[in-house]
Amino acid sequence: MGIILELKDLTKAYDTYTVVDHLNLQVNEGELRCLIGPNGAGKTTTMDLITGRQKTTGGQVIFDGRNITGLKEHMIVRRGIGRKFQVPAVFKDLTVRENLEVAFNRNPDPFANMLMMFRRTDKARFDEIVDLIGLGERLGERAGYLSHGETQWLEIGMVLTQNPRLLLMDEPTAGMTEQETHKTSQIFNRLRGSHTLVVVEHDMTFVREIADVISVLHMGKLLAQGTMAEVENDPKVREVYLGAEGISDAT
Amino acid sequence: MSVHDFWTPFSAGPFVNSLLIGLTLGAIWLLAALGLTIIYGTMGVINMAHGEFIMVGAYFTFMMQSMAGIPWLLCLPLAFIGVAILGWIVERLLIRYLYHRPLDTLLATWGVSLILVQGVRLIFGGEPQYVEVQPAALRESASIAFVHIPWLRIFILGATLALAAGTWAILYKTVYGVRVRAVMQNKEMAASFGINAQNVYGMTFAYGAGLAGVAGAMFGGLKTVFPDMGLGYIVEAFLVVVTGGGHLFGSIYSSAILGELNSVFSYFTNTTFARFVLFVLIVVFLRFFPQGLFPEAKARR
Amino acid sequence: MNRTGGNLYHNSTAQWLAYIALFGLLAIIPVVGAEPFQLRTFAGYAVFAMLAVSVSMVWGFGGILSLGQGIPYGLAAYCMGATMQMQFQTPDEPIPSFMLTNELEELPGVWKPFWHTHIGLILALGVPTLIMTVFGILMFQARLAGAFVAIMTLAMLNAFYSMAQDLQPFTAGFNGISPPNAFKAFGVEVDPYSPMMYWLALGVLAVVTFASKYMLQSKFGTIVQASRDDAERVRFLGYSVAYYQVVVFVFGGLIASLAGIVWVMIQQYVSPTALETPFSIYMVVWAAVGGRHSLFGAIVAAIVLNYLQTELADISETWQKAWLLILGGIFVAVVLLLPRGLAGAFEYLIGWIPFGGRSAKPAARPEAG
Repeated sequence: MGIILELKDLTKAYDTYTVVDHLNLQVNEGELRCLIGPNGAGKTTTMDLITGRQKTTGGQVIFDGRNITGLKEHMIVRRGIGRKFQVPAVFKDLTVRENLEVAFNRNPDPFANMLMMFRRTDKARFDEIVDLIGLGERLGERAGYLSHGETQWLEIGMVLTQNPRLLLMDEPTAGMTEQETHKTSQIFNRLRGSHTLVVVEHDMTFVREIADVISVLHMGKLLAQGTMAEVENDPKVREVYLGAEGISDAT
Repeated sequence: MSVHDFWTPFSAGPFVNSLLIGLTLGAIWLLAALGLTIIYGTMGVINMAHGEFIMVGAYFTFMMQSMAGIPWLLCLPLAFIGVAILGWIVERLLIRYLYHRPLDTLLATWGVSLILVQGVRLIFGGEPQYVEVQPAALRESASIAFVHIPWLRIFILGATLALAAGTWAILYKTVYGVRVRAVMQNKEMAASFGINAQNVYGMTFAYGAGLAGVAGAMFGGLKTVFPDMGLGYIVEAFLVVVTGGGHLFGSIYSSAILGELNSVFSYFTNTTFARFVLFVLIVVFLRFFPQGLFPEAKARR
Repeated sequence: MNRTGGNLYHNSTAQWLAYIALFGLLAIIPVVGAEPFQLRTFAGYAVFAMLAVSVSMVWGFGGILSLGQGIPYGLAAYCMGATMQMQFQTPDEPIPSFMLTNELEELPGVWKPFWHTHIGLILALGVPTLIMTVFGILMFQARLAGAFVAIMTLAMLNAFYSMAQDLQPFTAGFNGISPPNAFKAFGVEVDPYSPMMYWLALGVLAVVTFASKYMLQSKFGTIVQASRDDAERVRFLGYSVAYYQVVVFVFGGLIASLAGIVWVMIQQYVSPTALETPFSIYMVVWAAVGGRHSLFGAIVAAIVLNYLQTELADISETWQKAWLLILGGIFVAVVLLLPRGLAGAFEYLIGWIPFGGRSAKPAARPEAG
C-alpha cells in the first residue's frame, strides 16, 4: 500500500491572508485519515483545492503519482476522487433511486446517456450500496423528504457508486443524532481498506471510533499528526485547541 | 442602400463629431441605466419594467404638458415624483415577495411591463404623441465648425451628470445612503442595527423608478412618445449595468465606453450593424468577465 | 417510473395516454369540419406550442432561462423564407423583387445555396443549430447561469433583430420576405389552408414532443434535471455539466428552428418581427402559465392563450388590447403564486385521488436531540 495522496507545499493565498500555507501531507492507500482543526484552519479549503473546486496559488496535489493540480472538477472525479460536501448535496426533486442512478457514471457522455436506460448489469453494485447505506425502504421517495441523517447517507452512497479510490468527506456527521453517528462510523469502518478516506470532522467521539491517523491543521499549516493518543497529548495541539484541556473534550 | 455602401471612409471632422455624439449617447444610456443600477446594485432586483417606467415618465410629461400646460422643465421633477410613486406601489405589491427569487423577479417585472404597455395603449392609443421641449432654444442644435449636436442632447448630458453626482451624494453623504449601503453589504447585520431593510428597499426602488421617470421626461423630447418606447432602452440599460459590474461608477464608465464604441462603429458602418457588433462584443466580454468592468469585492457572508 | 408512488400525475402510462388523447383530439379537428381559414390559424397554434415546448425543455427541465428562443426560430424562418422565395424564382428571373428594389444586380452569394430546396432546408436547421452551439458553449463553459444567461440571450436576440432590419438587400429589412407561392415539396404544393398543412404542423409538434419526452425519461434527462437542481453536485459526480447544458440548449434551439420552418410554410412570410423581444418572452409566458415542468402544460397553454387572443381580437380592438393586459396580469399571478403553473396545480389536485402505493409524505423521524 503506497502513498495515494500527496500535498506538496499546497498554498491558497489571498491579498490579505493565507488560508492554506505550504501544506505538506501524505495519505497512504487504505487509510482512514481524519483532518481536524479549529474553525478557519483551512480544512474545507484544502478539500476544495484537492478536488479542483478552488484554484491553488501554489504547490501541487499528487494523486496516485500523477499531478492533478489545476484539473477541472469532473476530470478529477473521473480519476477516482469522490467528495461528500459539508451541506448535504442531493437532488431534492428526484427520488432516492434517481439520485443513485445519476451517480452511476459508466459513461459520462450525454449522447450515450440519451440511449441508456438504467442497465441491469449495475444492479448488483446498486443493491450493495443501498444495503450499505440502509435506504432500501426509501428508494421511491423524493430525496427532499428524507431526514437529515438519511440525506447524508444518500450522498455517501452516491459518492460510493463511482467506486472512488479516495473519498473526501466534509463533516459527515454534522447534525446527526448519536445513533446516526454510530451507524455512519459503521459504514466508514466497512469502507476502510478497500477505499482510502479523508474525513474532516469536529466530533471527537466519532473521530476516535474511526481514525487510523489524525492530522491537525492550524492556520493553514499541519500542526501535528499521529494516532489519537499521540495527538491528544501533543502540547501544541492542547494549546491551540481548548487551552490546556486539549481535544479530548471537544465535540 | 447597396451592399457596396457599407464602409464609410475616414475623415477627421465628422469622426470627432461622432465621438462627441457618442458621449451624449453614453449619457442617454447612463440616464436610462441609473435607476436600474441603484435597484440592481442595492437589491439584486432585475427590473424588466424599467423601460416602461421610462415610458410612463414620458407619458406623464405629455399629460402634464397637454392638459395642464406645465412647462417642460417643471415636468422633470414632477415626472420623478410621479413614477417614484408608481415604483413604490410596484415594490409594495409585488417585488417584496420575490426578493429571494431573482429569476422570478425578472419574469414578474416583465409581466408588469406588459401591463403598463397595454394599459397605456388602452388609455392613450397606439399613435405616437409629442412632448414639446421648452425653452425653444433647446430644440435647436449647437453648430461650431464640424460639430453639430442638438442642444437637447447636451442638456441631457449635463442633467445626467448632475443626477449621477446627486445619486452619489445621496449614497455616500447622507444617513439614508449609509443605510442603503449597509443593507447592500449585509442585510441581516444591518437589521440587527435597527435598520428597517424593508423600508430601505421600498425607498430605493422608488428612487430608481423616479430616475427612470426623469429619463422618460427627457427622452420624450428626443423623438416621439409611444407605448413600446421602453423596449428601446431596457436592453441597453441592462448591458450598461451588467458590463459595469452593478454599481454607480461601473455604470458611468461602461455607459461612456459603450456609447463611444457604438458611435465609432456607427461612423464606419451604420447604426444597426453597429449595434449588432456591439452586442456581440458585450456577450464575449461578459463571458470572460462576468463580474463586469469593476467587480465588487463582496464580503464573505 | 413511479415517482412518489402515490400520484397518478407521475404515472408513466397515464402520461403517455394523456398525450395520445391530446393529439388524437387535435388531429380530428379538420375532420370535424373547420373552415380553411381556421385550419390555417390552428396550424399556427401548433407552431406556438412547439415554441412553448422548446422553452419548457430548456428552462423547466434544463434550468436555463432563455429569453432568446426567437433566435433559432427567426434564423430558421429566414432560411425557409429564402428557400421558398427561390422556389419561385427562375433562371431567367433569378433575383427576388425586393433585391431589385435595393439595386442589386446579381443574386448575393449567401442566397445562392437556396436555389436547391433540400440545401435550403438543411441550412434552415443547420445555421441556427450552429449558432446556438457556439453561443451555448460561450455561456456554459464560463459557468454563466440564471439571470446572466437570460440577459445575454436577450441581447443576442436584439442584435439579430437589428441585423434583420438592417441588411435590407439580403433580408428585405423591415418589410420582410413574402414568397408568392406556397412551399413545394417533391413537386407538390402544400396549401396553407388545407388539412394537409394542419396535420403536417401537428405531426411535427407530435414528433418534437415525443422526442423530448423520451429524452427526459432517459438517463440524459435525469442528469439534466439534476444539473438544474445542483450543478456542482453533478460536476462532482464526474459529468461535464457544461456539455449537458449545451446539448439541452441546442436541442431546444432545434425545436424552435422546426417551428420557424413550419411557420413560414403556413404564413408565406417572414420579417424581423420573428426576432422581436416581446415574442420571445411570450413563449416564456406560455410555458410558465402552462407549467414549465410539463410539456403537456406548455402545449395546452400555448394553444389556449393564443386561441383566446385570436377570439378576443375578433370581438373588438379594445378587447385585443385588454387581453394583453390581462395576460400580463396572469403572468404576474402565475410567477408569484403558481410557480409550477397550471400543470403544477393539476398535479396537486390529482394527488388527492387515491392511487397505488403510499402517498408521498415527508419522513416523520424524531429530530436530532
